Amino acid sequence: MSSAPATGIKKWHGRPARESKAHGQDARATSAWLLGLLQAGDSFYPTGSYAHSFGLEPLVQEGVVRDRETLRRFIFQSTLPALRHVELPLAAHAWRAFETPDWPRLSELCVLSSALKTAREARLASENIGRQRAELMATLRGHELAREFLRRAAAENWPHAAAISAALEGRVLGAPLPAVLAGISYAMLSSLLSAAMKILRLGQNAAQSLLTEALTAVPEIIASAELTPVSEIGWFNPWLDIAAARHESADARMFIS
Amino acid sequence: MSEFSGHLALRAATRAHGRTVLATQSFRAPYHVSKPYWDADAHTLLVQVVNPTAGILSGDELTSDIAVDEGASLLVTTPSASRVFKMKAGSAECRQHFTVATGGWLEVMPEPLVPHRGCTYRQSTHIEVAEGGELFFADVLVPGRVAHGEAWGWEKLCLEIDVRLAGELILRERFAPTGEELRALAELAGSGPSACFANAVLVAAESEFDAAWRTAIAALHGDGLWMGVSRLRRGGWSLKFIATDTVRLRRGLRAARAALAKRFPRLSCDPRKL
Repeated sequence: MSSAPATGIKKWHGRPARESKAHGQDARATSAWLLGLLQAGDSFYPTGSYAHSFGLEPLVQEGVVRDRETLRRFIFQSTLPALRHVELPLAAHAWRAFETPDWPRLSELCVLSSALKTAREARLASENIGRQRAELMATLRGHELAREFLRRAAAENWPHAAAISAALEGRVLGAPLPAVLAGISYAMLSSLLSAAMKILRLGQNAAQSLLTEALTAVPEIIASAELTPVSEIGWFNPWLDIAAARHESADARMFIS
Repeated sequence: MSEFSGHLALRAATRAHGRTVLATQSFRAPYHVSKPYWDADAHTLLVQVVNPTAGILSGDELTSDIAVDEGASLLVTTPSASRVFKMKAGSAECRQHFTVATGGWLEVMPEPLVPHRGCTYRQSTHIEVAEGGELFFADVLVPGRVAHGEAWGWEKLCLEIDVRLAGELILRERFAPTGEELRALAELAGSGPSACFANAVLVAAESEFDAAWRTAIAALHGDGLWMGVSRLRRGGWSLKFIATDTVRLRRGLRAARAALAKRFPRLSCDPRKL
């Protein structure tokens, strides 16, 4: 029996197991979709989301969100519930529908996503980001699923939606559903906090601490969202909708939404 | 305690003299329909749907089906708030289905819904408007028996609405917050402990005159009233109101209807006329 050295560091007697061929292929596939999702979720990726505050700017203008604490409450009382009850369930159903693919179902989900956003700015933000994400999948990856989705959306006048296009990305990249939903959650929260740093007196460390705290809540939200039936998709914050409606005619604004 | 399986069916149609009449009416307790009133100025038939019982109780299942034929004009309202009582067990449900034909007008403007502490209630509203039909629908929610110091105490509350124009879904909303979630949002926004809400939808074709009423309604925002109007994905608008109390909310709704009546004259029909 070996004893621990005086340094307290245990000596490791093992050696790398010989990697099986199947394991190696799995690891490469995982790395491939993971890299794809990292790219799609990066602020460097040109989705246009940098131009949106997702309702934060109008709420700042109304004096509701004023500082780190009110921003934190907004994230936990509004942003995370919207992810839980709207964006993530939509994406989950779309991700499943893209497998076959079930085009009538996808058409229905695109319309549903648009109909759920009664504030015009929120709807246009989702449509513009969704269109850009779908087009990027078609052009950067040259993937037939993305091309066919765009062709059908144009021919049948489907509204684009950020959540549906994120599901498309997941299918094109071969990413599993929880990873796709995690990517959507991260992109939403980081975009919101990035906008917050421009509107509020909020430093990078404060923004990162809020992001870290919010992300700890996300796995539970993802688990619930995956199980949400289409009939139960929906949630809105009436103050956010009103503020977004008023933002349409604001005298001054920095963000599109 | 008796449970109701209430039923209401109305169909409004025009007659040769140009007036709207109830061509079909059928109802079962707890629904009752008062004698309709023809408002000649607004060119609209006003109908009050009365619930003669104390309110909505556990086990109640209510369904209503209201149709407006081509060229007909109908305003449906209620004379008093709909109280949803505390339920030791079980739940209550209300399913509403409204249809408007081309050239028809339907306004649904009930008094507020008041969910009491411990109630479980689901209300689903399905609206179908034909191309060229018009509708104004408003749902008003008060957080409880505020005067008794009871608010945000429901067990479960779910309000769902979907609106289709010429068969296409143009609006879907599902509002199922816990009382605590909504109370926290009201506190964050500074709307106070007795914030109340009106969620309205207007279905009508776009017009060059829309800017005028939109500006007038936007000007109502302030002094304890939040108000916003935004265009739906097609064929209509979402109008949302939040007020610190029911007095402000009623005042805001009245002012919004008055502003809208300049463009939609049938909104000049007074729901409290009867």
